[in-house]
Amino acid sequence: MDLYGLHEQFESSGMMMCFNGPFSHSIIEEIGTALRNHLAAENIAKAAVLDVFAVYIELAQNVRNYLALRDLGQEEVAASIITIARWGNGYAVSSGNMILAEDALPLSERIHELHGLTPEELKSRYKEQMRRDTPQDALGAGLGLLEIARRSSAPMTCTVRELNNRYSFFSLTAFI
Amino acid sequence: MDHPAIPQTPSTPLVSFDADQKTLRIVGESFPENSFSFYAPVIAWMKDYLQQHDALLLDLSITYMNSSSTKCMLDLMDLMEEAFGKGVKSAIIWRYDQENPRSCELAEEFSEEVTFPFQIMAFN
Repeated sequence: MDLYGLHEQFESSGMMMCFNGPFSHSIIEEIGTALRNHLAAENIAKAAVLDVFAVYIELAQNVRNYLALRDLGQEEVAASIITIARWGNGYAVSSGNMILAEDALPLSERIHELHGLTPEELKSRYKEQMRRDTPQDALGAGLGLLEIARRSSAPMTCTVRELNNRYSFFSLTAFI
Repeated sequence: MDHPAIPQTPSTPLVSFDADQKTLRIVGESFPENSFSFYAPVIAWMKDYLQQHDALLLDLSITYMNSSSTKCMLDLMDLMEEAFGKGVKSAIIWRYDQENPRSCELAEEFSEEVTFPFQIMAFN
């Protein structure tokens, strides 16, 4: 396999780390450790390292929880991708995963809804959501996107690629 | 009910209880695979403990917490707030690394949610 094309694409897009495959909790942990070590070596403030790490964790756990919720955790639909790239003086953290086609619109709307909210509005939304009862079998508290938005320095972007009647591929990028 | 004694892992904090000091310590990082199932026994223990005792100090030293862990932490603080209303001496000490202002900001947000003593302390 000639990886030069992939290598070139990574180099030109400022890619620092990329993982493609099914996310297990231990993989999320391992990549997280590698990411922190990598960023620590770049001599940036501890707070910035933690922001990138936090966004990475929320994105990765969101993907994992979504796939479990929709029972997409097996075989080819389970493979997801997470990337950390340079973005100007900061970083872009992205996740990509299969979603059910009908979830594309509500998910995109949830992302766009957060655009334009001030830090104070995001904080009060976060607190409201923290106070909301979580359904018995929920895997997350519905706080992940708000947490990401609060740590971001630019609005999140998302794209949906329709694959067939059943599945779409959803990409989400946060900028720190 | 047995006191909590959970060892630390890379993604879950140490949880331990000192009965003499009436202190529950949570130390480390918190981004469990499932925060709700991780914290459920701690929440159940605290509920039980607060019904039978007159004081509890929650001593926290958490460098990073994911969003679902913040929800569980709020559940613990709510139990302490309720007990405080019934005369239990509830208190929190939140320790954070001076180089980690995010942890301090998070502590300040939590402290807005309770009326009992909540001390935020930086360490080097």
